[in-house]
Amino acid sequence: MAGSGKSHLRPRDEVLLRVEDLVVEFPAGRGRTVRAVSGVSFDLARGETLGIVGESGCGKSSAARALVQLPPPRSGSVRLDGQELTALRGEALRRTRRQLQMIFQDPISSLNPRRRVREIVGEGPRVWNLPGDRVDEVLEAVGLDPATAAVRRPHEFSGGQCQRISIARALILDPEVVICDEPVSALDVSVQAQILGLLEDLKARYRLTLVFIAHDLAVVKNVSDRIMVMYLGKVCELAPSADLISRPAHPYTRALIASIPDGGLDLPPSDTLISGEPPSPVDPPSGCRFRTRCPRARERCAAEEPQIRQVGADHWLACHYPALPDVEPPVQPAI
Amino acid sequence: MRRRFGIGFWLAVGWVGVVLLAALLADLLPLYRYDETLAGPPQTGPSWSHPLGTDGLGRDVLSRIVYGARVSLGVGVGAVLLGLLIGAPLGILAGYRRRAADAIIMAVNDVALAFPALVFALAVVAFAGASLRNVLIVLAVLGVPAWVRLIRGATLSFAEREFVLAARVLGTRDRRILWREIVPNVAMPAASYAFIGMAVVVVAEGSLAFLGLSVQAPTPTWGGLINEGRTLMETAPHVVLVPSVVMFLTVLSFNLVGDRLRALTDVRESGLEPVRQVTVSPMPVAEHQVRDTLLQAEDVRTHFATPRGLVKAVDGVSFTLERGRTLAIVGESGSGKSMLIRSILGLLPGSAVRGGKVYLSGDDLTARTPAEMRSVLGPRLGTVFQDPMTALNPVRTIGTQVTEPLRVHRGLGRKEAHAEAVRLLASVGIADPVRMLRRYPHQLSGGMRQRVTIAMALSCGPDVLFADEPTTALDVTIQDQVLRLLHQLREEHHMAVVLVSHDLSVVARWADEVIVMYAGKVVERGPAAEVFRRPRMPYTQALLQAAPRLSDPVHHRLREIPGRPPDLVDLPPGCSFRPRCAYAQDRCGQEAPPLVGVALANGAPVNGSGHQYACWYPRPIETAIAEGAESSGR
Amino acid sequence: MIILHRLVRLVVVLLVVTFLSYALLNLLPGDPVTQILGMSATEESREQLRRELGLDQPLFVRYLDWLGGLLTGDFGESYITRMSVGAELAERLPVTLELLIAAEIVALGLAVPLGVAAARRAGRALDQALTALSFALLSTPVFVLGVLLILIFAVTWNVLPATGWTSLSVDLGWNLTSVILPAITLGCGQLAVYARLLRTDLIATLQEDYIILARARGLSPRRIMWRHALRPSAISLITAIGLNMGALIGGTVIIETLFGLPGIGRLIVDSIFSRDYLTVQGGVVLISVGYVLVNFAVDVVYAAVDPRIRRA
Repeated sequence: MAGSGKSHLRPRDEVLLRVEDLVVEFPAGRGRTVRAVSGVSFDLARGETLGIVGESGCGKSSAARALVQLPPPRSGSVRLDGQELTALRGEALRRTRRQLQMIFQDPISSLNPRRRVREIVGEGPRVWNLPGDRVDEVLEAVGLDPATAAVRRPHEFSGGQCQRISIARALILDPEVVICDEPVSALDVSVQAQILGLLEDLKARYRLTLVFIAHDLAVVKNVSDRIMVMYLGKVCELAPSADLISRPAHPYTRALIASIPDGGLDLPPSDTLISGEPPSPVDPPSGCRFRTRCPRARERCAAEEPQIRQVGADHWLACHYPALPDVEPPVQPAI
Repeated sequence: MRRRFGIGFWLAVGWVGVVLLAALLADLLPLYRYDETLAGPPQTGPSWSHPLGTDGLGRDVLSRIVYGARVSLGVGVGAVLLGLLIGAPLGILAGYRRRAADAIIMAVNDVALAFPALVFALAVVAFAGASLRNVLIVLAVLGVPAWVRLIRGATLSFAEREFVLAARVLGTRDRRILWREIVPNVAMPAASYAFIGMAVVVVAEGSLAFLGLSVQAPTPTWGGLINEGRTLMETAPHVVLVPSVVMFLTVLSFNLVGDRLRALTDVRESGLEPVRQVTVSPMPVAEHQVRDTLLQAEDVRTHFATPRGLVKAVDGVSFTLERGRTLAIVGESGSGKSMLIRSILGLLPGSAVRGGKVYLSGDDLTARTPAEMRSVLGPRLGTVFQDPMTALNPVRTIGTQVTEPLRVHRGLGRKEAHAEAVRLLASVGIADPVRMLRRYPHQLSGGMRQRVTIAMALSCGPDVLFADEPTTALDVTIQDQVLRLLHQLREEHHMAVVLVSHDLSVVARWADEVIVMYAGKVVERGPAAEVFRRPRMPYTQALLQAAPRLSDPVHHRLREIPGRPPDLVDLPPGCSFRPRCAYAQDRCGQEAPPLVGVALANGAPVNGSGHQYACWYPRPIETAIAEGAESSGR
Repeated sequence: MIILHRLVRLVVVLLVVTFLSYALLNLLPGDPVTQILGMSATEESREQLRRELGLDQPLFVRYLDWLGGLLTGDFGESYITRMSVGAELAERLPVTLELLIAAEIVALGLAVPLGVAAARRAGRALDQALTALSFALLSTPVFVLGVLLILIFAVTWNVLPATGWTSLSVDLGWNLTSVILPAITLGCGQLAVYARLLRTDLIATLQEDYIILARARGLSPRRIMWRHALRPSAISLITAIGLNMGALIGGTVIIETLFGLPGIGRLIVDSIFSRDYLTVQGGVVLISVGYVLVNFAVDVVYAAVDPRIRRA
């Protein structure tokens, strides 16, 4: 897998957010660097929810933070509504922030323990010199009672309620795109359902465009229109949600689905689809990054990195030997 | 507030207040002049006119101590504030800006710390003069490196937190982030350290005075008084003892106040406050038969006396388990599922009170002493925990950890234990066991670590394996590998497995029997397939419908359970689930429903299936059927 | 690689420290020439002496000159006593070293068992008593504690000498009796710090999963405490040993004054009063080298205690 390419991107005038060749690097000690995200491209149409799924270390969270330029990516392009964000610095970058908001995984750590809910939610309007009278409205919209909640501090709330406060803080600025980085993975099942339902409601009510990042494929499928599967900093497969789950073509996607206990699909047991552990991101395998765990890997996978190509209606894939009977391996480039 | 700080804190505050007031109002108090010689006979002990006696020149000791307090406290407060004024901005800059600013500031700090502090103080005071101002400045400067270190550390720990990132995403400017997000959080540790710093400065000023390098005579200072008094130690010990005691009490008070303030912010210690010992009468155990089965739990209870009230973490749980079976315990956080395991194993914190009985092959484990229990833990009961990152001791090699139970319980020698460890690691699917034994936990991936902990749990051939959320912290693909391994090992070793999990799909796939817990109680139990296909208790049913499944259509609306899990200190009367239950009626708020067996349509109880639920108004079987999770094959 | 990096850092710190102290001492008012010749000396004789001592050179040249000597082991010659500074320091160093080592032995020797005992019974009577004791010790300035101990052991009971020093080479028994009170006085403050740190960290460690799992494997509390919990809990303690070294060295100045010990600390104090720059400077070098070396050793011990640090 683990391929590069941009053939799956839609025309610029149809999309709200367009990310091309995103590369994020971190120092890994001893002068080495880790490429957490390595040439990832995707786009979002207005009102769409894109799910990004992958296991720990696949780069999904690093990609999310690179979208909001915190920190800015090493290279690549992030265009929001036609404006190139990676070229901006300082005040110019700050001015774009209203349009792009984020919700984090840890509900406790994402709220300042010393501030009251009214201050936390009202921070955005204050920073932007907007009237602060919408605090009550958004608190109500996320299912909190403004009269009792606004004067309290975060530690007086449960994890699910803290996540509602975070959502309110993001919503009050009327952002174009909201990036949700594992927003429900710290929550209990019953509360998780509440938050997922809330996100769907708010998306309709405020016409939001969402990037929804999670490691749980079932959760991602529940809220996403399209799903992008990542492995070790690369894109494996991108398809409409139902299509991806019912016709997974990439060996890694298939292993991921088969590993879920109630996958309920006619896939062979997961231990025949994947083996071993993910390699170190400091020293990724050559060619396709999934080949070291892939039962279908052949010589070509080590030599040549697969490019993203179309295998169905809006179904995109980066694999030389996908697990679909009707898809032929791509033609070897003439040497 | 008063109870939070304790009596010692308020005594300390009182003492500092008294000394401070005395120092401020010294000129208004009916005291002798501090430099008035022969105010009374020299070297006399306490008397009415001289409550603390007189010194060698007949000067009033009380007066000298009160005036000495002006120097000590003045320098203490002044130097700390000045040090804070210089050190805090530098610390915040280093901690927030990182990179070059941090490197430079910390390098300078390193040098400052390596510079002999006392030499600096001695030199400056000796050469520039021992005025109050100079002493204050010197001690303030000496305190700066410590301030920088502290403030930088605190800033760093908050600057990494997600709420700061969130503020940036909002478009907040740096200056506002510093003032609104960072400074309020750093203020508490700084306040605490300010008091400890005052203690340090008062002592340091005393040291200088003791060496004759602080504010010069005739102005009295505490250190100077002690130094002078030394010569009279044999004839008039009070002259040295009184200032010593006053200084001790003052320094102690500053330290106490600082320490209490720190305890308020230090999460690590807040849980360790001595628990109010509450006498809880031994819990009666319901009458029961000891059965001929591998593991039997009868009416297990675990209660904690907390400052807020009695927490019934586990409240009367019973089950039996046979060899070759897997019992799953399901519930959300706070349901008591993990505490149940620890209660059975006798691994509760000291503040817990345990009730009920646990029998292992008919042998009452709860009657055993801790020492007797140790011969069962390991050899007969194995344990695997949730987070493999914290389950292994970070400073010991895998080898020492895996061989330890072998040597302790099975009495193997070094070589035999090593060979056995290699065999064990290979049996849990570790490719190069010999090399693995030499490694440290941080060198392994999560999945590898969990394999190692499983190998350790199996090392003494247990009859029951307790696995508390064994795969929750692992990636999905690894999770499946580990669960397969557990299942395979259960077959090979002919063990019973107790699997604790919040993940219903995991339970549905791997368990034979299931217990659903809510607020410390069993609300539904039975064969896993049966419970998931035909849940009767509304909570079980709602939980199943709240969990997203791959087979659901996209944008499928999940069942939402309103409200939040109950507060264990303040449980609702009757059924604990009542406030969140869509089907609750009056009776649910009055009487707690007992666990009853599922009845057939004609009202006769179903024997053998063992499906039980605790609900006054169970869901009819028809509506429940379609929505349960499928228990697919392995 | 890491060692090399550390060594470079060490040398840089030493250079900066010695230069700063050299400059500080030379820029402060007070002149050794006046100190030697008295106020009444003529300008010519002062000028003559200044040239003789090299004091007419610019500060930086003098520093480099001194540094060059230092590299060949020459600490220079005291302006005042005209004696070799190196010889003077060499004579006094053993006293201070013995005092420091004895104090750390007292502190660590008691802190580890006390911290372990308190952590084992956190919140109970023993723990609370030890907490109170460590607060009391922490709040007693060394000179107050020293005075009290002298009052009790030397004045009242007359079992130990109040002041004076017998060298180790003269008589071991007398040497020990002369170091025992100073060492206890100096060690007690550290003891309180160390015991509290160890207790807090041990309590946190004892709540870790791997400790509960060790209990679940049927290991004895003694084994768990000493083999499993102690080492991961020692990091703060080791850090404190390094960080407190400065305070401890400062304490020796007081202790040596109080107990009349002929150590480096006392020498520095005396030299400051007599404007004997080069002797002070020599003392500063010794103290800084000592501090930096101890902290270097602390880094090495870190790696030995915690394998996770070896990588970083």
